[in-house]
Amino acid sequence: MTQRPSRDSSDPPSAQDNPAEIDLTDDDILEAMHEIPGYLDITTMDFRAVYRLAHRHAIDRLFSGITAGRLMRREVSPLTPEIPLVEAIPSFVHQGLKSLPVVDGQRRVLGILTETDVLRWLGAETFLGLLARVIMDDSCIKSEQHHRPVGEFMTSPVVSVPLDAGLRELLAAFAGHPGRAMPVISADGRLAGLLLRKVFLSAYHPDRRSWV
Amino acid sequence: MRGSLHGSPPRVSRPEVLWSWMGAFLGMAAVAWINQWFFAGTDLTFTIGSLGASAVLVFGAVRSPLAQPRNLIGGHVISALVGVTCWQWLGGEPWLAQSVAVATAIALMHLTRTLHPPGGATALIAVIGSDQVHAMGYLFVLFPATLGPLVLLVAALLFNNLPAARRYPEFWL
Repeated sequence: MTQRPSRDSSDPPSAQDNPAEIDLTDDDILEAMHEIPGYLDITTMDFRAVYRLAHRHAIDRLFSGITAGRLMRREVSPLTPEIPLVEAIPSFVHQGLKSLPVVDGQRRVLGILTETDVLRWLGAETFLGLLARVIMDDSCIKSEQHHRPVGEFMTSPVVSVPLDAGLRELLAAFAGHPGRAMPVISADGRLAGLLLRKVFLSAYHPDRRSWV
Repeated sequence: MRGSLHGSPPRVSRPEVLWSWMGAFLGMAAVAWINQWFFAGTDLTFTIGSLGASAVLVFGAVRSPLAQPRNLIGGHVISALVGVTCWQWLGGEPWLAQSVAVATAIALMHLTRTLHPPGGATALIAVIGSDQVHAMGYLFVLFPATLGPLVLLVAALLFNNLPAARRYPEFWL
């Protein structure tokens, strides 16, 4: 049960997937034209259109080659829906992750189990909320809930991305849901890895791109 | 009607107006002088109206792609060829010869990346021109339509690189 983000790369550019784009006003352009001596044979509308498209191409060029497949973490042991929560929680801890994909027998992604899902099932919105309850009553988390299967409280459907998803698609996908990680799906529909939001953010940070 | 009141390029500075005036004066003086001293009394003509339009571009809109050497020379030559051919083939139907000449000139200038608005005038002049123009046949392509723009080009190359604020050409080919 996966869904592709609704926006795809054939859509026209918008402010949402081009956050670095500055909206130039006629006055900005005319001011700039004043600074260039001689008659410029172009309207402000044409200039803006060229600028937008050129900016888009520049972004694509700068960040081409950085795809979900290159950024994702490959070493991920996914959960299956029938695993009880009590066994799933150590898996988060061992892998150092706060979200784990939930897959079926063919490694097709059914959903994602996040720390938030677990906390909500324990009756808390946040870790501190849970801590406050444990301090008050240390028996509160020793309930039957922990033996219920992962499939009951995972987030599904989950927003996932293909291996070749680039900046624009990843940005739209992360913007479209609150999660901190997204499953990356190979061409045959199986789980390929997990893309962490923090890895995505630092990869596209202009000052931290020396490794590219 | 589509379009808006915004977006027109600003008026140029006064020095720029003066530079445009001087450039056009020198360019057209060279063309007219050559016409007067070498072509007066011959069956050939050297000054055609479309050169005035070319002067607007090469001295008034120096940076425009339409004003670059490729467009200046290519646009006139291609359009003149089209115009003379249309006169010779379709001259019996003047309205058809005129319209086909201008339309075809635009199409060929597009295809060859030599779009130069005065080319349309050159094509039209080849059709509606005087008996002298018609009598020249394809010599019209050589004399006014190649050499005329070449004189303007030389003038533009010499003059448009004098002011610090000007540069010509932006590109050659």
